[in-house]
Amino acid sequence: MQHTVQAIIDDLSQVIYGKQQQIKLALTCLFSQGHLLIEDLPGMGKTTLSHALAAVLGLSYQRVQFTSDLLPSDILGSSIFNANEHKFTFHKGPVFSQVVLADEINRAGPKTQSALLEAMEEYQVTMDGDKYALPSPFFVIATQNPLYQSGTYPLPESQLDRFFMRISLGFPPKEAERKLILGQNNRDYDHLPVRINAEQLIEIQKQVSTITLSEPVVDYILALVSYTRKNNQFANALSPRASIALGKAAQAWAFIDGRDFVTPDDVQTIFASVTEHRLGLNHDVSAQQLNQLLNDVTVPL
Amino acid sequence: MRIVNNLTAINLSLSIVYILVLSFIFTELPLAFNTLLVGLCIWNLAVTLLKRNKPNALLANTLAGLSLIVLFYDVGFSDTVTLFVAMLILSSLFKLLQATTKKHYQTITLLSFFSLSTVYLFSQSLFATLIISLLYILNFAVLALIESKHNLKIAVKGSLKLLLLALPISIFLLLLLPKVPAFWQLPGPKLAKTGLSESVDPFDIAQLSNSDELVFRAKFDEQRPSPPYYWRAIIHDEFDGKTWLISDILKAKQVIGQNTTKLGAEPLFSYQIFAEPAAKPWLYGLQLSSSTHKDVKTTSDGLLLRKRFLASSISYTTQSYPLESALLSRSVQYQNAQLNLAKETNLQSQTFAKRLYEQQNKDDDAFYSALYEYFANNGFSYTLTPDPITDSNTLDQFLFNNKRGFCGHYASTAAFMFRSVGIPARVVSGYLGGEYNEQNSYLSVYQYDAHAWVEVYIKNKGWQIFDATAVVSPERLNGSLSQHTQLNNEFTSNLSFGLLRLSNIAGFNWLRLKLENLDYQWTSWVLGFNQQKQASLLNKLFGNKQLWQISLIVIATVCMTFICYFVYLSWPKKSSEPKHALTKDYLKLVNWCEKQGIVAKQNQTPLQFLDYAAHKQPEKRIYIEQFAQLYSDVRYRQLVFNSYRKKHSKDLIKSIKTKMKR
Repeated sequence: MQHTVQAIIDDLSQVIYGKQQQIKLALTCLFSQGHLLIEDLPGMGKTTLSHALAAVLGLSYQRVQFTSDLLPSDILGSSIFNANEHKFTFHKGPVFSQVVLADEINRAGPKTQSALLEAMEEYQVTMDGDKYALPSPFFVIATQNPLYQSGTYPLPESQLDRFFMRISLGFPPKEAERKLILGQNNRDYDHLPVRINAEQLIEIQKQVSTITLSEPVVDYILALVSYTRKNNQFANALSPRASIALGKAAQAWAFIDGRDFVTPDDVQTIFASVTEHRLGLNHDVSAQQLNQLLNDVTVPL
Repeated sequence: MRIVNNLTAINLSLSIVYILVLSFIFTELPLAFNTLLVGLCIWNLAVTLLKRNKPNALLANTLAGLSLIVLFYDVGFSDTVTLFVAMLILSSLFKLLQATTKKHYQTITLLSFFSLSTVYLFSQSLFATLIISLLYILNFAVLALIESKHNLKIAVKGSLKLLLLALPISIFLLLLLPKVPAFWQLPGPKLAKTGLSESVDPFDIAQLSNSDELVFRAKFDEQRPSPPYYWRAIIHDEFDGKTWLISDILKAKQVIGQNTTKLGAEPLFSYQIFAEPAAKPWLYGLQLSSSTHKDVKTTSDGLLLRKRFLASSISYTTQSYPLESALLSRSVQYQNAQLNLAKETNLQSQTFAKRLYEQQNKDDDAFYSALYEYFANNGFSYTLTPDPITDSNTLDQFLFNNKRGFCGHYASTAAFMFRSVGIPARVVSGYLGGEYNEQNSYLSVYQYDAHAWVEVYIKNKGWQIFDATAVVSPERLNGSLSQHTQLNNEFTSNLSFGLLRLSNIAGFNWLRLKLENLDYQWTSWVLGFNQQKQASLLNKLFGNKQLWQISLIVIATVCMTFICYFVYLSWPKKSSEPKHALTKDYLKLVNWCEKQGIVAKQNQTPLQFLDYAAHKQPEKRIYIEQFAQLYSDVRYRQLVFNSYRKKHSKDLIKSIKTKMKR
């Protein structure tokens, strides 16, 4: 299985140059059954990454471009009157696929944004009093532009909390950008080899949950979380859901790293991605504050 | 219905417990019923090991009903103790076969505590106690397993710890809490199936020698008298032509009994006897015995009888008076009875005896010696496997044709001959010899030491022992039957099983004697710790306090111990968190690194720090990397920090700290 994981990372690196860390973090998120939010400036490769992820994992995916006039029924589906049978039948929307790529999620209004909410948390859609289960596995990979850009509706905290991780790609290294300029970029993610199928992905998710979380590591997570609760420099303290996410993400990271146990180093690696969007930090100072946090909390021995 | 963890381990352990319990009470139950019970155990084992389904309720209940009928038919109602023990084990085993829920298993485990204890009804030996203790540990472990997810090994460790902790308190209570006399007594289970019988039929004692069960042990106060030891138990004074019996007159005398026999002479010696439970009340003594024990009756013939509690072992002190000092009974009737012999039988022997008597000029003393000589010189031999006697005149056939026999043959023939010439004689049965344990100076007498001999009354001399066996096989007089090499082969082939069979191998004999010794200590110190012994111990410790005061002191001591322990447990502890042993080693390493100028950054994880240190100290790199590996194995992979890893850690630190030789 380790071999497959490495192959997936290599495949994705063929599409996104020089961003191995971000690719691994994205996989970490999917292996821990979490939804992924990719936030960055336009033109940084967010959509490319999300498409490539869905393709390489062999999952069925649908893309929804969020705009300000997008309606909930455009995502969930709607009931349409069938003249032959004289009754309404439910036509499933794009949300009924294993991966939903919500492009520029913060361009849509709050009503539409929250239509995704039930789907993300409950893995089902309620329409006209009927419940429709979503396929398994089910991921939402959303991209968003930074909030200071015009024409955006910020996602409320409750909704942000439902994203397991938030990653940003950042500017590419010089060499990678040189390749891009020279037109060597490979956006042909449809032709990426499919390395695993849905069953294998579920198997991986199961394996990840058996990775050993030893006492010092759990102590470390607890210390980090309680630091945000005691210290009032954070707008939102970390919730228990965040603590759980830290543990899970560390397990998945260890798995990708080829270990069957978690070390405090894993926690440090995934810490920013898991907590940054939940803490409600000011964009300019977030990195500095997180560094401060990691510095102040001593690692349990 | 809650799911039970460790089903296999629980089922296996309980089956083993019951199989071992059955092996101890095997002899108490009929064979067919035993087979049924063992079958149930094996069924349960098979169901567990082959992972089959347990039988459904209808089948199991029907079988249980049928088994109950077998039980009533086979065991019967005469012996209620055995019946109820059998019923308890039967029902537990069926319950085990049907058990599915936690509650079922808990019930069975609790029942098996009772089943285990029933073994003590039948056997109290040291060996049985050891095995039962082990089974108790196992049973406690099973009880723990039902509730936990641990494996059997951990549970056994836990229960062992629990029982060891309970041991001091139970010993304390056993020793010091005053014993109360029992309010009820078990209806006596048939304890000794072998033993002396009221009639001497020459074939009986051969049966006896098949058994290597202990009968009693004797410990002499001072110097032990020189052998032979004739342990008298029963006097047979009536002969019906074939068998020597106890006459009604003698029985009547024994019923009346005399608690203290006034025997004129001084006692020869005194000794203590630890007698095992027996089916009959006969006790054992040398020469004319007398005991003042309240449960022991002394008869006018110098025999000892047990008044009650046949089912328990007894220890009593007795004094022996010389046999010669016993009077020939004043009762003429009695004398007649002793002279009485079946006139019409064994005429050949009668004639022969009379002729011999004439030859010795009708001198009793000379006849006594002549008879000895006759037995010594006419080709008689001692054997435990005599030829069958076909004639109705059994003594004639033995005396003149077969000439091969054991004590019963010689005794009844000799007594018959004495009587036929008018000399009072009687057959006495009991035990001869015994095995002497040098270390603790006691004699052990086993069932195979059973013996019969003759006592004759010679005028002017009093009662004398006449033992024809002694001249035929003199070595039989010293020590135990098992110690004679000549008889050994014959004897061991007669003996069914036991270490005794191997006693001609020095090592095994040594081992057997050691085990004997242990068993003696067990009997005298643990089983023999009765009310009187405790009373004297308490008297020594507490002086003349009332029993209730002593009880109060003992109970208060136990309560205080518990209270102190609980106070200690709930006492606020110092809040310093217990550090993992490897963490201490790591901190030593950090200390060393700081001396080398390698300082940890605040948010550095141990692994990062070690990696950093390895870069800074390239010559120690291998060791530091190995330590990092060990650290992540133990702290993060949660491998056990066993002695091997502990040593590895110590060694690594040592190698890191020692300066490189340049």
